[in-house]
Amino acid sequence: MAANERATRPLVEMKGIVKTFGGIHALEGVNLDIYPGEVHVILGENGAGKSTLMKILSGIYQPSAGEIIVDGHAHTHMTPTQAAQFGISIIYQELSVINELSALENLFVGRIPVRRSLGFGRADQGLTKRKASTIVEKLGVVDWSVMEREASAMGEKLGLNIDLRTPIRELPIAHRQMIEIAKALMRHTRVLVMDEPTSSLTNVEIERLFSIVRQLRQEGTAIVFISHKLGEVRAIGDRFTVLKDGTTAGTGMIAKTTNDDLVRMMVGRTVKQYFLTEHAIARDRAPVLRVSNISSRDRKQVVDVSFKVYSGEIFGFAGLVGSGRTELMNCLFGTMARATGRIELNGHDITTRGPVESVKNGMAYITESRRQTGYMPNFSIKTNTVISRSVKISAFRGLWGLIREREDAAIAEDQRKLLRIKCSSTEQNITELSGGNQQKVLVGKWMCTAPEVFIFDEPTRGIDVGAKSEIYKIMRDLSNEGKAIIMVSSELPEILAVCDRIAVFHSGSIAGILDGATASEEQILSLAISGKGE
Amino acid sequence: MNRNRLATFWDRYGTLCILVIIVALFSALSPTIFTKPDNIVQIFVQSSITILIALGEFFAILIAGIDLSVGSILALTGMITGKLMVGGVHPFFAVLIGGIFIGIVLGAVNGLLVNFTGLHPFIITLGTNAIFRGVTLIISGANPVFGFPYGFITALTGNIWFVPAPVVLALAVALILWFVTAKTRLGRNIYALGGNREAAYFSGIDVKLHTLIVFMISGICSGLSGVLSAARLGAAEPAAGQGFETFAIASAIIGGTSFFGGKGRIPSVVIGGLIIGTISNGLNMLQIQTFYQLVVMGSLIIAAVSLDRLIGQAR
Repeated sequence: MAANERATRPLVEMKGIVKTFGGIHALEGVNLDIYPGEVHVILGENGAGKSTLMKILSGIYQPSAGEIIVDGHAHTHMTPTQAAQFGISIIYQELSVINELSALENLFVGRIPVRRSLGFGRADQGLTKRKASTIVEKLGVVDWSVMEREASAMGEKLGLNIDLRTPIRELPIAHRQMIEIAKALMRHTRVLVMDEPTSSLTNVEIERLFSIVRQLRQEGTAIVFISHKLGEVRAIGDRFTVLKDGTTAGTGMIAKTTNDDLVRMMVGRTVKQYFLTEHAIARDRAPVLRVSNISSRDRKQVVDVSFKVYSGEIFGFAGLVGSGRTELMNCLFGTMARATGRIELNGHDITTRGPVESVKNGMAYITESRRQTGYMPNFSIKTNTVISRSVKISAFRGLWGLIREREDAAIAEDQRKLLRIKCSSTEQNITELSGGNQQKVLVGKWMCTAPEVFIFDEPTRGIDVGAKSEIYKIMRDLSNEGKAIIMVSSELPEILAVCDRIAVFHSGSIAGILDGATASEEQILSLAISGKGE
Repeated sequence: MNRNRLATFWDRYGTLCILVIIVALFSALSPTIFTKPDNIVQIFVQSSITILIALGEFFAILIAGIDLSVGSILALTGMITGKLMVGGVHPFFAVLIGGIFIGIVLGAVNGLLVNFTGLHPFIITLGTNAIFRGVTLIISGANPVFGFPYGFITALTGNIWFVPAPVVLALAVALILWFVTAKTRLGRNIYALGGNREAAYFSGIDVKLHTLIVFMISGICSGLSGVLSAARLGAAEPAAGQGFETFAIASAIIGGTSFFGGKGRIPSVVIGGLIIGTISNGLNMLQIQTFYQLVVMGSLIIAAVSLDRLIGQAR
């Protein structure tokens, strides 16, 4: 492998990096060395310091102490320009492409080539930036032909078969990410940092990404890969560095390290029950939730879906991103318009027209995006916790009545203790919490509405190992209390380990329902891709 | 830590500090006239209309929206109230129907249009601003209406005890609305809507109903100020309230209300309205021409908000 034949000198070496923010240590002496032609994985829980370290590498933050050695020259700090000149590029999780521009324009943002002459003949020229000398250059007429030529060469290399004139907003996430990679590569990148690049990709797209990463590795690019998912870390990584609480907890070859060891380094303890493997046997009990013939208004995104959820089980929805699982959940909760359908809870019809009634009828929906549809950033943990309960118990569609300060504080405090939310007080603003703790607040927000039906849509997205297993435990506890639990997840190991039955979704309907105890990843995938079993 | 404390202090008392600075400035420039007790009372009276419409505007901005129609609601409600009184309706009922009821209806028109079309309130109220002004001109034939019953004018320009009636009215409305924002579930839901509309919707908050209520509140506030303005001038002017949305928005923003929604406090908005009133009065006392006043007012608004932003960034 590339890692074995790697150069003797690292491309970049970070030594004893310390970073403090107003007295708080984000990093306390982290070491990281990156060799050409390797995929270096950085692991660590949320808040371990991964992003801070990468921001120092790209020159956005200046380290408080320590040095960065690039090409044998030691720097106590680097400016973003220096980092870019050296060839360090970062692709953030939240992509930074400009949605309103075309793919082509995005590739050349900040260095759009200018025509030298206005004649019909092609003025051949490179992209080297130099001062405009002729009047024509000063006019700044965009040279589309140069852009197209360079871009299509890069597109071919990455296997990006799209019309480059398409506006970015019309492209799927995977393509946007490819554009970012192409953009980085066109600027002579030697170290490519990818921050959780797979979090919104389908399995097929992930495979494509990995083959590109392998190709880049072959060409000698160093790739720094940040991820939470051990499966893919193993598939793509050569070496790893684990960060924990701002220090280097371990580094080594991935092939020689077990998953258990990696997890232990990340959390500082063995998480034996990373997943809860105990599966409920509940088929003899009566169904809690009976969903019949749900179709979305367009009859395309969700088509005639029926299923039952039994007491004591966790019912999972697997499928490709875009197969309509989230749309089904929205149809259940009333946040998306339905054409048909009936939802019964313990024999009572709870089919509703909107979320206001759904909440009153005892439904809870932990959505897939905390930031967009989850919390109010202007509220404290306390207010975020009690808001839905307050709506549920108030007359006149949730607006009547006075705020009961003491009651709210007590409820929020109960949830904090129950869910072990790490915070200084429930008066703290929710945006100050880590992703995992925010997720727990949102779970708590629904728990205190005392619902009978819980929908968890990608409940562990972007949260760390420790918080994940706590979320699983909460789900299992709720299901043991007899609540109907529905879970949507795109992570196959997770859904296999957590769910008792798994409905595989394919283009708007259920392609098959598998038993969680016996199903395999292959079975799920083949149903999800083709809509048919093997 | 020190910076942090400054930011917290500024969050709470920043608007008050700006008021103090402005009062000090005018007292120094015009020591004899500006600081006279009569003038101080006058400032409060002049500010009441600004405060009233600013209170309504505050709610519109709180849900990350805006209400550009406050000035023409003021004119239309004033005109209808005036017409009713001249037509022989008892002032009390005229105010009830023309000011409060029509105010609510016009606000509801805004709210329903926003809900129904899904367009940003900026566009809707930009349109209704023109529509309401047009209706005012149509029903009045562009002529002012006067000859109001004596009781109407004395009741709304006289004193209640020692305090001028407009001040009492503005403060009473402020008190009620403060209670709504700080103590009721309705108020909390409105803040939720402003903080994250999508999340509020998924939390079971009826976002359309709350949006409607917000614009109705803004409508009542403008309606009441329409009545006040008619009493103060002794006439319902078809051009009344033109450009008032600027002062309303400025008061709310100087009062620390976030344009992005979800953040702001009623007491600060009241002080924001007082600041606008003080600036206008101070410039009058310095005998600065109206045309120049607008220039100074605009500059001071930008300066005050910039200062606020500058200190806020210290966090």
